[in-house]
Amino acid sequence: MLATQLKYDLLMFSRELFYLVFTIVVPPVTYIFMGQLFGDQTYAGNLSYAQTYTPSYILLITFTTVFFAFGFDQVTHRTTGVEKRIRLSPVSKSTLLLSSIIRSVIITSFGYLFVYAIGMLLYDLQFHALNFITAYGFFIVLNAVLLVIASVIYSFFNEVKSALVFSIVIFQVVIFTGGFAFPISMMPKFIQIIADFNPLYHMNNLFIAVWNDRLIVDSGALISICYISCLVIAALIILHFSNKRQI
Amino acid sequence: MTIINVSNLKKAYGANVVLKGLDFQAQEGEIIGVIGKNGAGKSTFLEILMTIKQYDAGTVFVFDEDIKALSTNRLEQVRKQISVVLQPTQFYQTLKVQELLRLFKAYYKSPIDIETIIADFKLQPHRKKHFDKLSGGWKQIVSLAIAFLSQPKLLILDEPTTGLDPHMRNILWTYITDYNERTGGTVILTTHNMDEIELYCDKVMLIDNGLNEIFDTTEGILASGYTSVNAFYLEKVSI
Repeated sequence: MLATQLKYDLLMFSRELFYLVFTIVVPPVTYIFMGQLFGDQTYAGNLSYAQTYTPSYILLITFTTVFFAFGFDQVTHRTTGVEKRIRLSPVSKSTLLLSSIIRSVIITSFGYLFVYAIGMLLYDLQFHALNFITAYGFFIVLNAVLLVIASVIYSFFNEVKSALVFSIVIFQVVIFTGGFAFPISMMPKFIQIIADFNPLYHMNNLFIAVWNDRLIVDSGALISICYISCLVIAALIILHFSNKRQI
Repeated sequence: MTIINVSNLKKAYGANVVLKGLDFQAQEGEIIGVIGKNGAGKSTFLEILMTIKQYDAGTVFVFDEDIKALSTNRLEQVRKQISVVLQPTQFYQTLKVQELLRLFKAYYKSPIDIETIIADFKLQPHRKKHFDKLSGGWKQIVSLAIAFLSQPKLLILDEPTTGLDPHMRNILWTYITDYNERTGGTVILTTHNMDEIELYCDKVMLIDNGLNEIFDTTEGILASGYTSVNAFYLEKVSI
């Protein structure tokens, strides 16, 4: 059953132009474009563009996939009545959830490899097997974190329109305050303050550190880990109560 | 055998009390029409029977199970025996008709061949169309085809013929009555078409002011002096 559900989940994703553009097209194109502009610069920690922005754009693909194809999809199904019809079918909630999670992992992993390949081809990104495996493992953890947060956020929406507006606005906010466009230290003060509250900013910093084998558990990393952990715990508590059976 | 037994069912949405103590029974093999004006609580009542809506008070037994006391697993077992056509009909929009049928065949672990269903419901010209590209009538037919995939003991239909042309309505009713005769399955449906009630239903329940004002056989209603179920409805229900 899981294989069948997954097959159709992937098929549905591939047919949604909106999802494809925001997940598979926009982040890699932006990665290439920014690389052409700033590829020769050196970034925090004496890292190259590829070392800094390859993990960033992989994370961006993960964010867009999880928020658009997982979260936004939930709202669409809930508001159009699809969720109600599926709920009346003898397919377990866990099968549907697991299929959604695997779908997200497959799509984001594709994005991971895609951006990685672009980095190697265009920006002299080096491949180190052990580092690749460590970074991929951490990427899966970030995937799970985003899935939990997206599930909670989109559970509050009862209209597709408002969810769509939210998704587009949050995409912009994440781009500018997550460190995906320019280094946050170069941004105005108010952007830096907003960035501190943006979990993607913290995830991005951690992912860059893991990617480059430079994760040191200092106060900055601890704050990031604690902040993300608190958000996940809060999200899980909300999910627990909202998922309680209604009858 | 009693399939559904509802007693003193109450349901309110905030201050709006929709069901005020409704009683209802359905026996195996019956076709029961639920009628009432818009907003009377017909869909709410059906959704409670479908086990997807909470209610405030009363008891609802489906297949001898008190649905309020059921575990999630047991509830899934009960739902396996129920099939529905909702109003409005919605499925995954970007899947094609034949893909939807295959997906639901997997959900219900149905032994029915998809090609048979496609042929029976005359879906051949539409099998490769995406669900959201179908007209309202064809969406209803697809929904009904999916409902029959599960070979249900109980079929619940919320305004199944709304938006269908006479031919489509005829096809749909042929399937419903055939299913009923062949399997002894119980059918509960809402409709605003009183001719359908008169032609096909064994019993009628009129919901008015949150109560089952009338719950009788179609023959019983006609025998009480009404020329048609439509005349009965017009007299009993004010605008």
